[in-house]
Amino acid sequence: MTLMFQPSPPDHVPLELIVDFDLFHVPEGVTDPAEILHDLVRRGVPKIFYTPRNGGHWMFLDYADIVEGYRDYSIFSTYQTPIPPIEPFPVVVPQGIDPPEHKVFRSLLAPMFTPIAVRGMVEEMQRRANTLIDGFADDRECDFITQFAERFPTSMFLYLFGLPEERLEEFLALSNVFFRSTDPDERAKNIVEIYAVMESLFRKKEHNPGNDIASAIVNARDANGNRHDWTDILNCGFLLFVAGLDTVTNTFALIWRYLATSPEARTYFRDRLEDPDAFLNGIEELIRINAVANNYRRITRDCEYRGIKFRKNDRLVLSGMIANRDPQVFKEPNSIDLNREVNLHVTFGVGPHRCIGSHLAKREIMVSMQEWLKRIPEFDLAPDQPPSSAFNGPTMGFKGLRLRW
Amino acid sequence: MKVIANHGLCQGHARCEDLCPEVFSTDAVEGKVVIVNSTVPPGLEEKARLAVRNCPEAALRLSKN
Repeated sequence: MTLMFQPSPPDHVPLELIVDFDLFHVPEGVTDPAEILHDLVRRGVPKIFYTPRNGGHWMFLDYADIVEGYRDYSIFSTYQTPIPPIEPFPVVVPQGIDPPEHKVFRSLLAPMFTPIAVRGMVEEMQRRANTLIDGFADDRECDFITQFAERFPTSMFLYLFGLPEERLEEFLALSNVFFRSTDPDERAKNIVEIYAVMESLFRKKEHNPGNDIASAIVNARDANGNRHDWTDILNCGFLLFVAGLDTVTNTFALIWRYLATSPEARTYFRDRLEDPDAFLNGIEELIRINAVANNYRRITRDCEYRGIKFRKNDRLVLSGMIANRDPQVFKEPNSIDLNREVNLHVTFGVGPHRCIGSHLAKREIMVSMQEWLKRIPEFDLAPDQPPSSAFNGPTMGFKGLRLRW
Repeated sequence: MKVIANHGLCQGHARCEDLCPEVFSTDAVEGKVVIVNSTVPPGLEEKARLAVRNCPEAALRLSKN
């Protein structure tokens, strides 16, 4: 629940476009965090509406508008977008910079996240997934989120950054505060700590480079042959930390809860363990239905979009969860069809800021599911589930998931 | 049947490569589409068509010749 003072809606928004919607509030008892989004569509609210909550922001409900929001950076900027507004806010590099300037760091990172690069990480993913599964396989039950969903992407982050596995607990603790704490003092201290860790890591990699992303970032040269600005380097490290952990964790949680409750889906994927193409196609559908990120944009100038007046600095939320269920684009959008042939989901966004880690994320999901199903082919929800704890905001998910087999 | 890619529109989703690697690949620098076979080999028309239809950026086209 958001308790902050809510300003009155600005006078450029007509009354009929105002909907009382709180992106951060999932009512008690609701186990699926996406319900608050699907509910907007079911209620038939305007396809472009404004909510005064959380500092006030627009929301698009049509796939076509959401795609436009991703593509047209001349109006919909990624620079300084927090909701509720916080100023100043760190410029996460390169996500928080508009083209063409974002290209500098985007191009620097791109080679490390291509499908070719990610295919080279598969064995490491398999090994790390199996190490985690070793930890609980014989218990015949686990707390999936804390024992796997949080650990696996964090462990891969350590690998990508050339850090030893022994630092897993430290990074888990940092990311847990970052993503879950609501205490402003704790949050402020946490961000300082994350930047300090990044700083010491980049300093070390500057002098002792390895074959890792941190070394590549800190030892890259700009157009003039100089090291990049130190602030940009730290902000880029920070982006990779915040973008690659929680989104994957929550996607894992939603997918494994679905697998635990769907014997047909478990069979489907088990039957395709030797057929990676078909396996991947099924994963695209799970990714469509479980788009956990809501992405923020800021309006760059006073303008009109589809006859609606936007004012400079208005905020906008683009929700993949909504776009991916648009019946104008998806056949039977609310059913899960693991054989879906045309699947134009925008879970990773589209346009110049398409999630640079999309191939990594997809491969992390695929390898984890494959290794899990080989070792734990059948599982279901444990009877002692924690009370429902769904949350929404920039990422959605829920907190407890006990599985047994 | 031929496939044509618009590199200006491609953002490197690689859905084409996932769906029809016989025709589409991606480069190691930007991760953008590389057409490995601009003439679709016989028997792969349906796969290539699906790959084109699944491009989230509408960066791919099919042509008869």
